[in-house]
Amino acid sequence: MSSQVGKVISLILQERFGPVIEKVGTFLFQYGSNPLLYIKRTTDLPLGKVKEALCVLIKHRLAIFKPNKNENIANYSLCIENILLMMRFPKYLSLIKKKFGDEPEMMIEELLQNGYLTTSEIILRVAEKLKCDVNNLPNVRDKFVSLIIAKYINRLPLPSDEEKPVPIFGTNETELFTLPKIDMKKLAQAYANIIPKDDLGDNVFWVVNYDRFHQDMRDKCLVDAFIKRFDENAGEFLLEIRDIVRKKVVYPNLVTFFDQYVTVIEQDSSQIIRKFGEASGGSFQIHLKEAYTQLAWELVEQVILEKFDSKAARIFRLVKLKKFVEPDQIQQLAMIPSKEAKKLSYLLLEENFLKLQELKKPQSNTGPNKSFTLFYIDLESIVRNLLELCYKTLFNAMTRKSHERFVNKRIIDKKQRVDTIAMGMQAQGATEEQLADIEEMITPPEKEMLDKIDKKMKKLNIEELEIDGTIFLLQMYLKYQ
Amino acid sequence: MVEESVILELVKNKPDGISNDDIKEAIPDAKIEDIAVAINKCLKTGSLELFQNKGKLLYKFKDISQKTAAKGSDNEEKVVFRIIEEAGNKGIWIRDIRFKSNLNMTQLNKVLKSLETKKYIKAVKSVSASKKKVYMLYDLEPDSTVTGGAWYQDQDFESEFVDVLSQQCLRFLTEKAEEARKQGGGPLLARNKSYATAIDVHKFISDLGISKVSLSINDIESILYTVVLDNNAERTVSGDGYLYRAINRFLDPIGLVKTTCGVCPIASRCADTGLINPKVCEYLTEWLEES
Repeated sequence: MSSQVGKVISLILQERFGPVIEKVGTFLFQYGSNPLLYIKRTTDLPLGKVKEALCVLIKHRLAIFKPNKNENIANYSLCIENILLMMRFPKYLSLIKKKFGDEPEMMIEELLQNGYLTTSEIILRVAEKLKCDVNNLPNVRDKFVSLIIAKYINRLPLPSDEEKPVPIFGTNETELFTLPKIDMKKLAQAYANIIPKDDLGDNVFWVVNYDRFHQDMRDKCLVDAFIKRFDENAGEFLLEIRDIVRKKVVYPNLVTFFDQYVTVIEQDSSQIIRKFGEASGGSFQIHLKEAYTQLAWELVEQVILEKFDSKAARIFRLVKLKKFVEPDQIQQLAMIPSKEAKKLSYLLLEENFLKLQELKKPQSNTGPNKSFTLFYIDLESIVRNLLELCYKTLFNAMTRKSHERFVNKRIIDKKQRVDTIAMGMQAQGATEEQLADIEEMITPPEKEMLDKIDKKMKKLNIEELEIDGTIFLLQMYLKYQ
Repeated sequence: MVEESVILELVKNKPDGISNDDIKEAIPDAKIEDIAVAINKCLKTGSLELFQNKGKLLYKFKDISQKTAAKGSDNEEKVVFRIIEEAGNKGIWIRDIRFKSNLNMTQLNKVLKSLETKKYIKAVKSVSASKKKVYMLYDLEPDSTVTGGAWYQDQDFESEFVDVLSQQCLRFLTEKAEEARKQGGGPLLARNKSYATAIDVHKFISDLGISKVSLSINDIESILYTVVLDNNAERTVSGDGYLYRAINRFLDPIGLVKTTCGVCPIASRCADTGLINPKVCEYLTEWLEES
């Protein structure tokens, strides 16, 4: 993890949890795993604050603790990936909404906001939010159970029974998705406030299973890619190949030409779907590594295209196809004037998209022809560089956002004040006229400015989300390496 | 006895050179010794040239009139002329002439100038290095490696011409793919119909009439290869040639290139402190202002 990631992390923590937690988090990022007192000493915060901060971090699964060597002291460390995943929360929510509907979305939202919750807490909170009838509780429960079955949430491992100063959590993989026993009678009573909620004796905690979401996102990426490359039918085909072939009315062409689609996609130069056997009329597999390598190539090519224009992208692709290329060949094959070709290829070299290998000629060791110069590409290093650039972009967007907020603090505060007054008046039953008067406290130029700020914020927020999409693609490539 | 003129006639008909066996076959009734004597005489006068090709000795006719033209000059000129002559239509660089002739620079320059004014040789600018001049005999047509072929006009690479051609090639391929898709009949048929050979494209380009110079199939192949390199088409081997087909890409524009930082030329110098930072970044401001 680079220092750039550290900066992004401290901004995320600052934005969502405030300065104290940011300080603790940054310390943990810089110094790695550390016991409580060390954190206190270096951060110079009161012990209570540090404890509180660690509690919040652990509650949100952003930090973990492990026993020290002497087993009496715990070492705290930061879960960097989980902090970065917070950028992805909106995507999780929209995904679950599309797939399961509103109630499950609310459940996931509760979990994302709170880190972990018990079965009854989740069900009751969602039921309260929906203001649904007591008789509807089983319905909510069913939705909850379906989330477990689909593995979108899993149990939080509980400490092992052994009494130790620092508890150790078991990792029993088989029990991660076991369904809990839910006492509906008690739950209904608690919902109606007949018995206090603490009496439910619920000790199974649930957390969001990020990997399951990533699986869905990974598949979605591929399906989108196939739609772009072939057509809608091919995208649907990819979905089908994952499950069993179901005949769908929506895609009549797929059923008619199923065999042909198989052939076309299998023979495509991208080699993403490969035949691996003849069993039951031919069996196929999706080559995820190949798929994400292809996507990574295209991603890099896109960056080069946008940054240095099409000629440079052409050179890059030529080097990709030829593996090792001499500068003279580049100019000839890419049909670019020699001066420009040289300029572009060395520009790409300077920006670390191309690499250079020199081969010494054995006979002559003087003069200009003493060695060959060969260009080649190291995709993995490029991807890592781009990932770094993504984090930088993320950092820049977030910095800019807080800067804009800081510069326009006065006007934003004023807007907030006016809004609260208007709300208060409305609650007291003020007339339309009075409300309009209050609204007028914000002058038209101010209003214009507020609109402008609002637009900027939205743009930056969208940018953050889109950058996260790129990060996801790049990470997937690295994962399958 | 064998007349020299007979042999010269024979050799003249074969500009690529003639071997001993060929001569013997053409004059079956002559003795080998006589032929040898005649050939030796020709070689002496310089009207025959001996060279080796693939381990075989070949004779070639050499225009004496040309040689006599060079005769009017002094010894240095003759040597330089011979060196330039050997280089053929690829030409020879002045530095190489100097090494081969062992003449010093000023002398060589003088000799070359005099040969040039007498129109025995000419200087041609090479495309591979703009400042490099190569010398060759006056009446030779420069090789395509020297002039660069159809893509060069006076040593300048015509990139606009290449760009236009590659656009047109792509248009042809996409239209073909589009048409194939519209016709229906399943993806396999659509794919197979969208393939085009370089010959098809060549015909299309010639019919368009955008090129003043006549392009060969090979020229079109290299243009098509640039379309492939631009990731707009794919090339498959079929039989003894290539098939081309327009393809789509996998990705829509990704998040990184939609923002300013992803394409920022000074991103590596940008940090949270210093003159270049996101708070005052002009590019970001501009991007945020635009609607």
